Amino acid sequence: MEKRNKWGLLVAPLYAFTLLFVLGPMVYMVLVSFARNNGDGYGFFWRFTTENYTKIADPVYLQCFVQSFKLAFSTTFFVILLGYPFGYFMARLSERGKRRMMFLIMVPFWTSSLLRLYGWIIILQAKGVMNAALMGLGILKKPLKILYSYPAVLIGMIYALLPFMILSVYSSVEKMDWSLTEAARDLGASPFQAFLTVTFKLTLPGLLSGVILTFIPSMGLFFIADILGGNKIVLVGSLIQDQLTRGSNWPFAAALAVILTVLTSLMIFFYRKITHVKDLEEIF
Amino acid sequence: MKGKRFALSKLYLALIMLITYLPLIMVVVFSFNDSKLTAAWKGFSLRWYQELFRDAALMEALANSIKLGVISCALAAVIGTLGAIGMTRVHYKSKGMMEYLSTVPIMVPEIILGMVFMAFFSLLGLPFGMVTLAIAHTAFCIPYVFMMVKARLVGIDPSLEEAARDLGASPARTFWDITLPLIMPAVASGCLLAFAMSFDDVVISIFVNGPKTSTLPIKVYTQIKTGVTPEMNALCTMILAAVIFVLAGTSLLRRQKARPGKRQ
Amino acid sequence: MKKKVFAIALAAAALSMTTAVQAEENKELVLYTWEGMFPQEVLDGFTEQTGTKVIYSNFDTDETMLEKLAQAKGGDYDLVIADDYIIEQAVEEGLVGEIDKDIVTNFGNINPIYQGQFYDPDDKYTVPYGAGIPLIVYDPEMTDLDIRGYQDLWDPSLEDSVAILANYRVINGITLLSMGKSMNEEDVDTIAAAGEKLLELAPNIRMIQDDNTQNALLNGEASVAFLYTSQVTAALNENPDLKVVYPEEGLGFGIMGAFIPSKAPNAKAANEFLNYILEPDIFAQCMNYIGYINTNQAADAQMNPALVYSGDEINGEYIENISAQADEQQNKNWTEFKAACGAE
Repeated sequence: MEKRNKWGLLVAPLYAFTLLFVLGPMVYMVLVSFARNNGDGYGFFWRFTTENYTKIADPVYLQCFVQSFKLAFSTTFFVILLGYPFGYFMARLSERGKRRMMFLIMVPFWTSSLLRLYGWIIILQAKGVMNAALMGLGILKKPLKILYSYPAVLIGMIYALLPFMILSVYSSVEKMDWSLTEAARDLGASPFQAFLTVTFKLTLPGLLSGVILTFIPSMGLFFIADILGGNKIVLVGSLIQDQLTRGSNWPFAAALAVILTVLTSLMIFFYRKITHVKDLEEIF
Repeated sequence: MKGKRFALSKLYLALIMLITYLPLIMVVVFSFNDSKLTAAWKGFSLRWYQELFRDAALMEALANSIKLGVISCALAAVIGTLGAIGMTRVHYKSKGMMEYLSTVPIMVPEIILGMVFMAFFSLLGLPFGMVTLAIAHTAFCIPYVFMMVKARLVGIDPSLEEAARDLGASPARTFWDITLPLIMPAVASGCLLAFAMSFDDVVISIFVNGPKTSTLPIKVYTQIKTGVTPEMNALCTMILAAVIFVLAGTSLLRRQKARPGKRQ
Repeated sequence: MKKKVFAIALAAAALSMTTAVQAEENKELVLYTWEGMFPQEVLDGFTEQTGTKVIYSNFDTDETMLEKLAQAKGGDYDLVIADDYIIEQAVEEGLVGEIDKDIVTNFGNINPIYQGQFYDPDDKYTVPYGAGIPLIVYDPEMTDLDIRGYQDLWDPSLEDSVAILANYRVINGITLLSMGKSMNEEDVDTIAAAGEKLLELAPNIRMIQDDNTQNALLNGEASVAFLYTSQVTAALNENPDLKVVYPEEGLGFGIMGAFIPSKAPNAKAANEFLNYILEPDIFAQCMNYIGYINTNQAADAQMNPALVYSGDEINGEYIENISAQADEQQNKNWTEFKAACGAE
């Protein structure tokens, strides 16, 4: 009994902080989503209504949710594809190599994300670096019009979220007990079999946390779509932004946010169910 | 054959890193551009660096950003790490719910989070400034540390700790000597991510900052009316240079230290 | 070692908390507006003259400003510069204080065509700080079209080559203008019809963006752009061969105004600052810097001529606040339009 109390002390800060500064604001958000917008002016009234939710059923708005999910899924897919091998290889570097790589990954992210996006524009634009290089090498005859399109947005999203996957996978591979893989090899498994049955399984928790850390933010990140996609792919995030500027419809924006949060949570929940990561059963 | 595969994996790491640094190279190059716009190259100039050094407000914003990043990162590291360790050991019914709740701040769109934080803080009567900024940033930094540490803890052999306890180590000692070193890589990567997120956040900061606590991203993003100037590119270049300088310095020091004896 | 790092981090955290609380000062002016609205020399000049330090605080959108100001109940900030329509709302909310014309003796320098507007009919609360008229700019090397008005943006030859700013009121507004209606149209059916027409524009849109829109024109991504005034100025600076069009259907005006919040901690300094910037040479310096149309008559002589608007040709209207229904329809038009632009 006494032992249990001591462990409770460890989680106390998390409990206190979360209850006060996360649950509190969230309750407020849900309340606002049921409030009535002050049509002709600023602010809203505390009078119960569900109209903010019924309005979301409009195909215009539903489409934004579809777009957001589409983008989040494709982003997560590519981030796994590129990030898993990276994290895996990184964990096999020497101690010094690992440390260096970790900083190399993080350093770009200590500069403004907006400026980095502008950097991408310079690279991707019709008269930009990429087209010049590809045409110089004779690969392309005509410049690619890639900027302000879906692929440009996808590139930006993958770029922004890749480190989350890399670092998650890395910290999971790094602590792995390689003798287990060797044992599998000794028992006659091919390198691929050994990887799949042992290594991959053991690093699944890292992959899971990587997917969560990629998928969740990708649902909300909309300024990449605005800047690299020229505002032509309307995500829920930018819809919310539009509702808050000029329209200044807080309750509707809050309702959109509630739905988005619920859908994201459900996705994570199903993902966890499908992957059967027993060890992480408690996470959601 | 094994060597070849190793070279391939290194090639892959290098390639991804190259792509990661491409846009950054553009940022650096255009900090020397003699034009207010980043549309085309107009010739070499240092004028943006001159502007930068005259801009005291920007330097103050930079200082605020670093301060805020360090505070929220440190708070998130403590709360997140302790929480992740504790969670594997307690068996409260509320546990699952609490873990879910603690990740909600990165699920809710930033602009809404910023708005509810603002309303909530003013409900609590907290004065807007560094304190409110730190609370809000800590809230969205915790999930990064928590998730990283949690993933690392899975599969770590509990017998190690038990052995230490059996040998008479106090719980605190066990934590410092056994648990912490084991999870340190995860704490470090969680902190690096958290710091990066805090250092770059603008939407939430704009809502919860006070009149005198501007952060760097706020200065960048609020140039909407007149367009972002290459002064910001110059600043980013300076930050990069500083980071590289510090890293190179520490690695040099470490090498010198490591030379006399063998490590550990 | 790790313990030490940890302890230092905590100490740093604690220390910075206390310094943040201490920062209460006496002679300060908290200026609240977008970043980059004043040349550094102008701010420094004010400090030299009066000894009052200018704290430059920023917001991203007008709505954020209004939220923050409402939370502070009209306090915390001494001087705000924002767009016209939001000032009307701020005045309605009682968040705006009157200007002290005994201090602001330069008030008479203001160009009267920018006064008496919908947001401040009696000129009690605001000093206009620059006006904007979004205009069409095109590269004659990239299109043979002789563009005269908004209607030309619909021309099939401009497929995937038009860049536009991202303000839904302005874009709905020019569509309404091209139909011979007002930008402030209240009839929901008419606005819905404008939405239909807007969808026909979608195939021509290369990009929609609010910041640095002119870059798309300069780097060849777009051949025609519909830009804010400061962007028009920036584009012409970079490439003088671009053609500027004052659309024949009429212009949409916007004014940025400076106002003093009702409970400004240092209203006196704010009034002094307003008087200071209304000096002709200071004001000209500011307007030339931000690239907006000059709203100070006395400063006209020192202005870049492109930024002085000769009142008589004005064939335009201000974008005013409209009813909730009309606004909601415009919002919907906008979302549908953007989605249509992205559809292949």
